[in-house]
Amino acid sequence: MLHYYVWLAARSVRRNPALTALMVLAIGIGIGASITTLTVLRVLSGDPLPQKSDVLFYPQLDPQDSNDYRPGEEPPNQLTYVDAMSLLNANRADRQAVMSGGAAALVPDKQGLDPFAVDLRYTTADFFAMFEVPFLHGSPWSATEDAAHERVVVISRELNDKVFDGGDSVGRMLRLDDHDFRVVGVLDAWRPNPHFYDLNTGNYDDSEDAFVPLDSAIDLGMGRHGSMDCFGDEPLSPDETLRSPTCSWLQFWVELATPEKQQAYENFLVAYSEEQRALGRFERPTNVRLRGLMEWLDYQKVVPGDVRLQVWMSFGFLLVCLVNTTGLMLAKFLGRSSEIAVRRALGATRRSIFAQFLLEAGAVGAVGAVLGLALALAGLAAVRLQPVDYAELAHLDVWMFGAALAMALVASLLAGLLPAWQACSVAPALQLKSE
Amino acid sequence: MDIQPILKTLRHQKTAALLIAFEIALSCAIICNALFLIAHRLDRSNMPSGVAEAELVRIQVGSIGEQDDDNARIDEDVAGLRGIPGVVSVAAVQQVPFGGSSWNSGLRIAPEQKNSVVNATSYFDGGGVVRTFGLELLAGRDFTADEYVDFDTLFSANGDQSRLSSAIITRSLGEKLWPGENPLGKAIYLGKEPIRVVGVVAALVRPSIFDDSLAGYSAIYPVRGAQYTQYVLRVGDGSSDAIIEQAAVTLRELQPNRIVLNTDTFTELREEYFQQDRVMAGLLVAVIAALLTVTALGIVGLASFWVQRRQRQIGIRRALGATRGNVLRYFQTENFLIVTAGIAAGMFAAYAINRWLMQHYELPPLPLHYLPIGAFALWALGQLAVLAPALRAMQVPPAVATRSV
Amino acid sequence: MLEMNQLSKAFRTEFVETYALRDFSIHVREGEFVAVTGPSGSGKTTFLNIAGLLETPTGGTYALDGHDVSRLADYERSQIRNEKIGFIFQAFNLIPDLNVFDNVDVPLRYRAMKGTERRRRIEEALARVGLSARAKHYPAELSGGQQQRVAIARALAGSPRLLLADEPTGNLDTQMARAVMELIEEIHREGATIVMVTHDPELAARAQRNVHIIDGQVVELGRSEPRLAVRALEA
Repeated sequence: MLHYYVWLAARSVRRNPALTALMVLAIGIGIGASITTLTVLRVLSGDPLPQKSDVLFYPQLDPQDSNDYRPGEEPPNQLTYVDAMSLLNANRADRQAVMSGGAAALVPDKQGLDPFAVDLRYTTADFFAMFEVPFLHGSPWSATEDAAHERVVVISRELNDKVFDGGDSVGRMLRLDDHDFRVVGVLDAWRPNPHFYDLNTGNYDDSEDAFVPLDSAIDLGMGRHGSMDCFGDEPLSPDETLRSPTCSWLQFWVELATPEKQQAYENFLVAYSEEQRALGRFERPTNVRLRGLMEWLDYQKVVPGDVRLQVWMSFGFLLVCLVNTTGLMLAKFLGRSSEIAVRRALGATRRSIFAQFLLEAGAVGAVGAVLGLALALAGLAAVRLQPVDYAELAHLDVWMFGAALAMALVASLLAGLLPAWQACSVAPALQLKSE
Repeated sequence: MDIQPILKTLRHQKTAALLIAFEIALSCAIICNALFLIAHRLDRSNMPSGVAEAELVRIQVGSIGEQDDDNARIDEDVAGLRGIPGVVSVAAVQQVPFGGSSWNSGLRIAPEQKNSVVNATSYFDGGGVVRTFGLELLAGRDFTADEYVDFDTLFSANGDQSRLSSAIITRSLGEKLWPGENPLGKAIYLGKEPIRVVGVVAALVRPSIFDDSLAGYSAIYPVRGAQYTQYVLRVGDGSSDAIIEQAAVTLRELQPNRIVLNTDTFTELREEYFQQDRVMAGLLVAVIAALLTVTALGIVGLASFWVQRRQRQIGIRRALGATRGNVLRYFQTENFLIVTAGIAAGMFAAYAINRWLMQHYELPPLPLHYLPIGAFALWALGQLAVLAPALRAMQVPPAVATRSV
Repeated sequence: MLEMNQLSKAFRTEFVETYALRDFSIHVREGEFVAVTGPSGSGKTTFLNIAGLLETPTGGTYALDGHDVSRLADYERSQIRNEKIGFIFQAFNLIPDLNVFDNVDVPLRYRAMKGTERRRRIEEALARVGLSARAKHYPAELSGGQQQRVAIARALAGSPRLLLADEPTGNLDTQMARAVMELIEEIHREGATIVMVTHDPELAARAQRNVHIIDGQVVELGRSEPRLAVRALEA
C-alpha cells in the first residue's frame, strides 16, 4: 500500500511541477535558515570539555570595600592575587590553577623571521592536567618550577611549527620580550570551544600560543591581556596592582570530583571570607559562588544574544513557510477532489485517502530536506566568512544533518495534516457535482 | 462594492482564507519587528563619536622588553610623527573611541560619598587630544601645558593624587552628574582629591560600550605616559594608507626594539566595533525579503487555485451581466478583506513579539509608526500577488456558464 | 440481494424538512436486472447513492447480500462498497492521469491482494470488455464508448455482487450506446445482479423488471412496460 502511495505521490509531483516546486522551495528555505542558525547555536553552546565539565568549578569571592555596595549583587568575576594564592596554597581541591591572559613580543632565533606579538597564558602547573591538555613533546612544569618562579614555557603546536620548524623543541630557548624561557613542553592541537577558562579574551578565541608560570610573568613585568578591577582609595602603580589585595584580575579554576568535595569547598570559601572579614580586609557580607563550568558559561552569557535571536527569527520564518505550504497543499489536494470522490466511491476508506495525501506531503518534505540541507551548507559557508571569533567553527555535523532531515519531514507532515484531513473528508460521489 | 456576498463565499473557502490571513498576520508581526530592529541596529552603528573620524588614524606599538612608556620616548615619537607630510596633528592617548579596551572609573561629586554617581571612561590625554580628535568644546577650554601630570606621579606608591586637578567632560556626563547645572568649575572625585571641570565637549564616545545609555559618559584627564599609550594622527586630505606606512617606519626608526601592534583608521575601528549590528541588519533585510517572497507566492498559488475552481461561478456572473472590471474588482476586494483580517491580527502579534523581544533582548518598545508601514507593505503585496490570477479570472468567458461539466 | 424496506431519506434545513425518499421499498433478487426509472427530481439519484452505500438512510432498513448495512460507519461502508459493489457512472469518472490499466487497478488497490492476482484480474476484465490492446492508453485518447467500457472493466475487476449503473449511455452516441448496452446484457446473462437507473424508456425496456419512482416513492410496473405509470394514491 505504501508503495502505491509513493508511486501516486511521484505522479502527482510530476503533474504539477510549478506548485510542487513552490512548496519544496518554501520548505527548503525555511529548513535551510533554521538549520544554519541552529548549527551556529549548537556550536557555540557546546560543552568545551565534555569529559570533565561536571567536575570543574569556578570559585568567586567578594573582597571589596563597602563603597558602591548594593545588596544582592554578584561577586566580582575574578580574584585578587592575594586571594587566589591563598586559595591555591590552602590546597583544598583535587586540582587547581590560577591564570590570566598575557601578551609579549616574541623575538625568534630563526633567520628571516621578524619579532611578532604572541598571546600568552600565565598560569600554574595544574592547568594542563586539570584541563587534559594534550602534549606532543615534553610535559608541563611542576609546582617546584612555579614556586621557584622559573623561566619555563610550554608552547603550542602552531608556534612550534612557526619558530622551531616543528620537531621536538624541548630544551630549546624562546625569547619573550627581553627574557629567555626554556621550552619544557609542546602541545598538540587544542582548542576548547568556548574559550571557557578565560572569557575576557574572546569567547571563542583560539587557544594561546604559549604558557608561562604566573609568578615568573609578574616578576618580569610582562604584559597583561584581560580586565582588571581595582577597588579602594589607594592609588597603585601598574606593577603594584598585580600582587595587591585590592585588584581582581585572575581566573581561578578547581577540580572537585564528588558532590561532597564540592560542598566542602563551598564551605571552605565561606570560612575563608569570614576569616578575611574578621581580619578587616573584606568589608562586605560574605558572598561566595562556586559555579560549575557549564553554569559559569551560562551565567556569563557566552552565546551572543544575536545568535539566539537569529534562531528565533528562522523558526518564525519556518512557521510562515509551513503555513504557506499548508495553503498550497490544500489547493493542490482539493483540486483533485473529483479524483478523491471517485476513489472513495470505489471503496477507498477515509484512512487510505488520508494516508495517500499525507505521504504526498512527506514526499514534498523529503525533497525539501535535500534543498534545505544544500541551503544550510551555503548558509554556514557564509557564516564562516564573517569576521567573528567563532567563524571557523560553523560546520554541519552528523547530528545537525539528521536534524535537518527530521525537521523537514516533520514540518511537511505537519503542513500536510490539515490538507490531508480535508482531502479525506471529500464525500464519495457518483455524480460530478458542479462546485 | 458589496462585501456581503464576498464574505459569504469566503465562508465556503474558510480554511484557505484563514490560512492566508494567518500567514499575513505572522509575516506582518515579523516584518514590523524586523524593520524596527534594523532601524535600531543601524542607529546604533551610527552613534556619534564626537571625533573627526574620517581624518583620524591610530598606531599602537609594543616594545620588546620592559613596558617602558618613557615620557621622553613618547615626546620623541610624537615629534617624529608630527614631521610626516600630511599629518596635521598628533595626540598620545591610552584609549580610542570604539577601540575595545578601556579604563573606567566610578565618579563621585563629593569626597565623603560612599557610592559613585556614575561609571565613566577615562581618557588619559598625553597631549593634543582635544585638538587632534577634533572635539567640539561647548564651554571652557583645553588643558594648559602646566596642567599635565605624569602617570607615574599619580599612580605609584608615593603618588600624589593632588597633582591632577583638571578634567574635560562630555555634556551628557555633566548632565548626569549635575542635572540642569553648568558643570564648569565643579569638582569630581576619583579618589580623595578634587578635580575641576575646565572644559565641556559636545560628545566623546567610550572605547567599549556595555550599555548604550552610558555610551557618552567620558572624561579626559591631562595625564602623560599612561600604560598602553598609543598615537593618534590627524591626517589632512592625504591618503591614510601612505601615512600609516610612513608612521610605522618612523616609529621603528626611532626605536628599533618594538613591534607595530595595530594600525587602524577610526572609520575602520567603528566598522569593526559595529560589525555584528550591521550583519544582523543585513540578515534581517534578507529575512524580510524572503518572507515577502514566500507570502506573495503563496497568495498567487492559492488565488490561482480559487479562480480555477470558480470558473463556472465566474461564467455565470458574466452571463448575468457582470463586466470584466466587476470580476477583477471582486477578486481584489476578496484579497483585500483577507489581508486586512490578517493585518489586524498581525498588529497584535507584532506587539506581543515586541514585548518578548524587549524582555529577552533589550529592545526598546515598538514605535507606533512601524505598524502602518508593515500594513501598507502587506496590502500592496497582497494586491500585487492577486493581480495575475485576477486578470486571468477576468478573461473567463460567459459561455462557460452554459457548458455542462 | 438488495432489500430496502420503508426506507426514507430526509434533508433538513433550518425551516424545512424535505424527503428525497419516503417509505421506499424495493427487493432485487440475485441475478436480476432491474431498471429504476423516474423523472428528474424523483429521487432516483438518492436511491442509487443509498444503494451504493454512498449515503445513509434516515429511516428504514437496507440489507445487501443478506447483511444489514443501514447504519454502518463510513469505514465499513467503504469496505463493502469496495468488495461487493461495482459502479458504472454516466460520466465514466475515470481518473485522467492514470492509464487504462491503472484505472482498472484502483479499486483492487484498496483490497489486500497480491500484485500477480491484481494483474490477472485486470487483464481478464480488459479482455472481457475488449480493450486489452488499449491497456497503456490514457482516457483522453479514447472515445466515449471505450471510456465507458474501461469503467465497466473497472467495475467487474473486483468481482462485485451487485452492479449499479447510472445512465450508462447518457454521454454516448447511439452506436456506442448500443455496444455498451449489449455488453451490460451479456454480463447479466453471465449471472450478475444489475440495478440500472435511467430516464430513457428504451433503455429501461432492456431490463427484466422496471421500478418507477415518483416523488421519492415506488410505483412498480410490470415487465417491460414502457408506459408511464399512473401515480399511486398515498395510503
